[in-house]
Amino acid sequence: MIRPITRRGFLQAAATVPVLAQQAETKRIAVIATVYKYLSHAQHMADRFLVGYPFGGEWHTPDVRIASLYVDQKPPDDLSGQRAKEFGFEVYPTIAEALRCGGSKLAVDAVLIIAEHGDYPRNDKGQILYPRYEFFEQVVKVFEAEGRSVPVYNDKHLSFSFEKAKAMRDHARRLGFPMLAGSALPVTWRLPELELPLGCEVESALMVGTGESDAMDFHALEAMQCMLERRRGGERGVKSVQMLEGDAVWKAGEEGRWSKELLTSALSRSDTPQGLTVTDGRTQDLVASGEVRKLVANPAAYFIEYRDGVSATLLMLTGAVGDFNFAAKLKRVPQIQSTQFFLSPVPNVTYSACLVHKIEQMIETGVAPYPVERTLLVSGVLESCLTSRARGHARLETPHLAVAYQAPKESQYCRV
Amino acid sequence: MQAQRPKLAAITTVYRKYSHAQHIVDRFLEGYGWNGAHHHPPMDLVALYVDQVGADDLSRNRAARFPHMKIYPTIAETLTCGTEKLAVDGVVIVGEHGNYPRTEKGQVQYPRYQFFEQMLTVFRASRRSVPVFSDKHLSWNWQWARQMYDSAKELGFPFMAGSSLPVTWRIPSVEFPAGRRVSEALCVCYGGVDSYDFHGLETIQSMVERRPGGETGVKWLQAFRGDRFWEACRQAVWPLDLMNAALARSHTLAPVRAGFNDVFPTLDEMRRLARNPVAYRYEHEDGIKCTMMLMDGLVRDFNFAARLDGAAKPFSTQMYLPMPDGRTTLANFFSPQVNNVEKMFLTGKAAYPVERTLLTTGLTAAGVDSLFAGQTRVETPHLAIRYQAAAESTFWRT
Repeated sequence: MIRPITRRGFLQAAATVPVLAQQAETKRIAVIATVYKYLSHAQHMADRFLVGYPFGGEWHTPDVRIASLYVDQKPPDDLSGQRAKEFGFEVYPTIAEALRCGGSKLAVDAVLIIAEHGDYPRNDKGQILYPRYEFFEQVVKVFEAEGRSVPVYNDKHLSFSFEKAKAMRDHARRLGFPMLAGSALPVTWRLPELELPLGCEVESALMVGTGESDAMDFHALEAMQCMLERRRGGERGVKSVQMLEGDAVWKAGEEGRWSKELLTSALSRSDTPQGLTVTDGRTQDLVASGEVRKLVANPAAYFIEYRDGVSATLLMLTGAVGDFNFAAKLKRVPQIQSTQFFLSPVPNVTYSACLVHKIEQMIETGVAPYPVERTLLVSGVLESCLTSRARGHARLETPHLAVAYQAPKESQYCRV
Repeated sequence: MQAQRPKLAAITTVYRKYSHAQHIVDRFLEGYGWNGAHHHPPMDLVALYVDQVGADDLSRNRAARFPHMKIYPTIAETLTCGTEKLAVDGVVIVGEHGNYPRTEKGQVQYPRYQFFEQMLTVFRASRRSVPVFSDKHLSWNWQWARQMYDSAKELGFPFMAGSSLPVTWRIPSVEFPAGRRVSEALCVCYGGVDSYDFHGLETIQSMVERRPGGETGVKWLQAFRGDRFWEACRQAVWPLDLMNAALARSHTLAPVRAGFNDVFPTLDEMRRLARNPVAYRYEHEDGIKCTMMLMDGLVRDFNFAARLDGAAKPFSTQMYLPMPDGRTTLANFFSPQVNNVEKMFLTGKAAYPVERTLLTTGLTAAGVDSLFAGQTRVETPHLAIRYQAAAESTFWRT
């Protein structure tokens, strides 16, 4: 009895596929990864091209196949060999060979650089030195040698160094290939479905994040940026940053440098308050009760002053909550706007399917669905904040962060 | 607008961490995140009854921290606040969790009906009734549930009940399309019989009740368990494409293969993961067929799918429960439930019809009966319950 249903489904599907799409060739991609082990970014993102992923109410099978893989590190729990064998592609010893699939010419239609996780040193600012720039440079070398480029996705920040990040973006511009980058937070579901109206006037904004630097603060900064870039006049870049830690964070709150009202609103979206909630299940107003101060051993505030005068703050409150929440006050809108960027449970991390769908969209259309400048700016903001920390939490002017761009008109976060 | 803040009484089985009473009563006492603020309900929960007070009890802690709330030793005293007459403007009954015996069919005999009856005694003696919310199904016993419903009608007080599933977040955030005919609907979820099956049934019912013509009631139900569940899959007793569509909404599909974090299982693989699945298959009076599936081991969330007339693809969504322990610390799906109940206490009108829960209570009992009777089909003429859905959506979107 199953067969007729399956067959009918197949016939219906076949009838609706345009002839052109049937003739189009399956796109081939190269994956350039630091490490391919269980729950590394490379595994959970690249796997979606191998086994499909949930999207829009069905298990979606991309018309894209992994043609080659490069992995920088192969720890004992490496999965790259197993995947290559099962899904019929090669793991190449160099990036250039991966892009050429062992031949003499660029042999893929897109490149995914997924350089998160793996064993890499940190610099004195605490940044993990993932070799994203170095991977990208090698990709660009092949493009230049061939006189042909293909779309590139770069996972997370472009580089720990703004200078390198900017060089990456500039290469993409110069060679004219579509480039997409960043975190899954801007594109995951939001609880509730909040989008700031394009052209809104932002009075102030606050993001609450949790987890380690410089992995999780990047996610939080990008989540905030994808909201604020929609403000009036478009993005024009960042004028100064300052990072504070410890008691100075609370003191800054007392002085009105960040808004307790916005923090209350952001935390009202959290499903993971710690402390007394863990003790006995109770709901909490962590700000009014003062509990938030007790729960966070090492708070950090990232102050961002934009060139158009708007100010925004990221509070990393590890110990108080375990999720990512945003709040903003808009001019002439009495109610504070707030939402949670929904990170669905481990191990499925279905939010990464939302991001993979954007990557697939770029591969299929040749157009990045949102500007890489968002990630460029956030890469630079994060670096400068960590520089501020290294320089005794000084306020730093950031003339190099005059990164201007327009937010996409259409919302890019998942609502399907 | 009421001149004074309404006074409430809560009648509970047990008040410990993560019991339903703790989730619900705490929200009235402590407030909760709502519409981007920490919301304090504009009403006072002044009287509390707790049936079982164990070593892990929190009610004494709460009474000490919220001195306006007094704990009374009986339900009558709670409702009268120790006086002769009903002294509250609303009643919250939370008869979930606690140690109660099971029936021979495995149902936990939570004393919701007994609590309700004692409340009615006070209502009648006081010649006054106030709005009532009763958590989860009305009773494990269908006759008692029907009696609770009839008594509420007779005395004419607003009455709400049920699960938080109908009112929690949906991912994606969609309402059942107005005016669309539907032939099949199902929910793939998890948990046990006489427990989460009720939540799955409320999930389905909160959607299909919005079909043209409104709810017409249910004619029959048949349960399938274990091998018979898989045999029914093979025979496509329920539509497998809808089952797959519901599974594609899950955020917790158990990875069937080591080293893969998110893969879609084949039917054989599902069988390896879900060791003892249960389905309730039932048909409404107007012909729509529904299936509630408990697939423990495969998913840990509530996923809905339906076949709408004229639609090429299934309509589907997940009713999202931010569920402690582990995934979250706060069971915030109780927030929209409490908020809807608050509205009833403020307006004197139920936010959604209690007939939904009367029907799902009957379906839960019918499921238990079918399982007990060897998974045979049970006719349900007593479930010819007709009602219209609330015009406005009541699920969490803000």
